[in-house]
Amino acid sequence: MSDTKGEDADEVPASDAAPPQQAVDPRLLEILVCPLTKQPLVYDRTRNELISRAAGLAYPIRGGIPIMLPDEARPLDA
Amino acid sequence: MSGSDQARVVAAQFGPRAEAYLQSAVHAQGADLAAFAGLLAGSEDARLLDLGCGGGHMAFTAAPHVREVVAYDLSRDMLAVVARAATERGLGNVRTEQGGAESLPFADASFDWVASRFSAHHWSDWTAGLREARRVLKPGGRGVFIDVVSPGVPVLDTYIQSVEVLRDTSHVRDYARAEWEAALAAAGFITQATRMHRLRMEFASWIARMQTPAPLATAIRALQTAMAEPVQRHFAIEADGSFMIDVATFEVTRPL
Repeated sequence: MSDTKGEDADEVPASDAAPPQQAVDPRLLEILVCPLTKQPLVYDRTRNELISRAAGLAYPIRGGIPIMLPDEARPLDA
Repeated sequence: MSGSDQARVVAAQFGPRAEAYLQSAVHAQGADLAAFAGLLAGSEDARLLDLGCGGGHMAFTAAPHVREVVAYDLSRDMLAVVARAATERGLGNVRTEQGGAESLPFADASFDWVASRFSAHHWSDWTAGLREARRVLKPGGRGVFIDVVSPGVPVLDTYIQSVEVLRDTSHVRDYARAEWEAALAAAGFITQATRMHRLRMEFASWIARMQTPAPLATAIRALQTAMAEPVQRHFAIEADGSFMIDVATFEVTRPL
């Protein structure tokens, strides 16, 4: 079977408060909006998430790739 | 809403096959890629979106000619392969981002170019995806959409959709050229040129790339041999199951 995650093991410890080594690209941040509301996002450096206040969702960034899927976002009220 | 269900099917289909799509000769080569590179002359300052990038072949083709490429896809595994391949090729201006075509996470008028190749036939809401592509394109911006197209004739259409879904259960629809041109116009694009070409699908590698389950591959072979002569002739079905498909390139602009 193929091992698609073979070289993708750079997990950042949850306890590490410093920005992860693969943060989102600043030039990408300029054009990113919430896919649901099309409102701007706020980058939470500590949690490495993109916050949509209008949608009440936090979109994760994994391995430097913003995951802009509402199904995979964390509800802010939780 | 079946959109997210379709998203899961697409992600499940392509995740384990990401490397195969990077390596696939059918995807990595082609006169359409060379023609696309030619269109990018003079776009040194452009930001380009590769919408449904798959193995990243449009992104890799564009990267040397533009300032920045955003490679966007529903499959995280596919994006990981694209990011790694971009690094290996020294293409430092390729960013990756995960999401669906129907609801783009980009501000209005973010891109000078939107490109999409062999992706639209997977979109759960094709017209929404085209409207989103127009929204994120700057006024005066340019787009290239390349996809497998249905011949449009009902019997040929029924056959190609059947074969496609047997091979890949995330297949939604190969639209006909006329449907494409109407949908692009409805989405607010002007089609500047449409180019048609034929692509030979070598049966064994076509099945292997998607890891089509054996009963479904067998059903495709049975269907191929059972169909009437007009189908055999149009798709130039060979003894081993290899055949020709129709591919269209639509060059569009967003009006000022």
